[in-house]
Amino acid sequence: MKTFLRIAILTVLAAVYTSTHAQTVKASYKTDLHIVSTNDMHAAFEKLPQMAAIVDSLRCLDKDLLVLCAGDSRTGHPINDLYPNTSYPMISLMNLIGFDCTTFGNHEFDSHQDGLARNINESNFPYICANISADAELGIQTTPYKFFDVKGVRVCVLGVVQIGSHGRPDTHPKNVVGFTFAPVEETIQKYLYLRDECDVFILLSHIGFEDDVKVAEKFPQFDLIVGGHSHTQLEGGEIHNGVLITQNVNKLKRLTYTTLTVENGKVTNKQAKNIEIENYPKKNVAAQSLVNFFSDNPELGKVLAQAVTPFSSYEELGCLMCDAIRDISGSDISFCNAGGVRYEEHPAGDFTVSDVLRLDPFGNNAVVMNITGKELKDMLIACFNADENRFPYTSGVTCHVTYTDSKRSAIKSLKVLGPDGKEINPKKTYKVVGNSYATTVSNSPRKDQGEDTNIATSDMLMSYLKKVQKIDYQGKTCLKEIF
Amino acid sequence: MTVTVNNQEIRIFNGATAKHAILRYMLKNKLEVKKVDNLVIKDKYGHQIDGDAPLSDGQTITFKTV
Repeated sequence: MKTFLRIAILTVLAAVYTSTHAQTVKASYKTDLHIVSTNDMHAAFEKLPQMAAIVDSLRCLDKDLLVLCAGDSRTGHPINDLYPNTSYPMISLMNLIGFDCTTFGNHEFDSHQDGLARNINESNFPYICANISADAELGIQTTPYKFFDVKGVRVCVLGVVQIGSHGRPDTHPKNVVGFTFAPVEETIQKYLYLRDECDVFILLSHIGFEDDVKVAEKFPQFDLIVGGHSHTQLEGGEIHNGVLITQNVNKLKRLTYTTLTVENGKVTNKQAKNIEIENYPKKNVAAQSLVNFFSDNPELGKVLAQAVTPFSSYEELGCLMCDAIRDISGSDISFCNAGGVRYEEHPAGDFTVSDVLRLDPFGNNAVVMNITGKELKDMLIACFNADENRFPYTSGVTCHVTYTDSKRSAIKSLKVLGPDGKEINPKKTYKVVGNSYATTVSNSPRKDQGEDTNIATSDMLMSYLKKVQKIDYQGKTCLKEIF
Repeated sequence: MTVTVNNQEIRIFNGATAKHAILRYMLKNKLEVKKVDNLVIKDKYGHQIDGDAPLSDGQTITFKTV
């Protein structure tokens, strides 16, 4: 009996000691988790040496720094986007910096399926996105979430990408064939169980600030939302329903540096601040060497087509641009504002990538709309009025414009003639494509405002030149001006 | 899509950015067209956004000349 009592007392004491000791250990456990995050870098690869230097410095303070990207690393600079292995400059620099993960932005899909598969394989960091799945034949493995063990803290990062009203991220529909996308909130609901499996729950989001706020209001389970897509400049971060949301504008103007204090497996304090990149005085030397290497891109000198005869007017080059976007978009008619054609002479011979980028440097996308002949006529007049009284160039139709005077002060009358030489039917609906600037400034009433194709007009011109191989526009006209 | 710029509804193509909506607003109101670099653009929360910020249907923005 005495022995039994002794064992019982010892067991109880041991249990009490263990319990007390464990509580002491847990109570004393407090650590700061540091995160650097970017979003919407849009191929601003020339700023990555400065970011690399900042990350180097922060890693001296905390070697366990997490580096996160909230999507849209590409699309915005021809050196990166037109690299033979598209977007490789950004990826190699992100590898050098040591990003821990990214989510997909809508523009990651601009690499097309094969390019995206290559991008993912070349990246030393995972692409985390829960509301996407890819058909097996694409060879694209998507990861909905990832755990990181940082200084004894279990961090879970869940990723989501923006879905537009058309049911896909904002990219050309062809780029997402083979992918399936699920609604963001429904997806988050499905993965909420992860909250119980981690100390810190982070949403890496490319859905835009306004939707991040909605998510925070509905899902206070997140400690932090690292956001992107809407190019919103927050002062560090902003807390909604207890959830810290961070985001910076685009093109690496700033980084966000977030500190989460974790005690007893819970986040007890959250702080975020911006770090300026543009004026940061130091650059990582290795990163700068990579930038220098990639900047010398032979792709820009690549010959796309041969000009059989020289171009000697804005109109000839405007006709080429309009033919290109009409053909590549499969439209009946196209138009470009005259101010969008940036040079007027081009010799016979090579027409290169660089020539295209000089001719059409604004990054305009092609916008397609279904409008009547009457609406088209009104659009062309509105474009003239908004573009310093210069009539737009067209393809698929020829325009006979009569002005009130020799200074083109106003249009007296306009005839829009189809390929048969007759005026187009004012009631018939045509598929019309224009560059995004011309479409915007043509402020005339119409039912269909159009849809962005998410393809740059310069990309369409390159595709067209590759397709036709030879061009001859000497004396070509799409416009007859009568004074 | 329809977005609101400085309290005025603007119809514009799907996929338009903040600078497109503002340009349309300026033309509609016969204002002098300013370069987007000279504007401060804000979302409905009052946060600054970039001219290239993508807009969605129903979104509200405001802008001021610097």
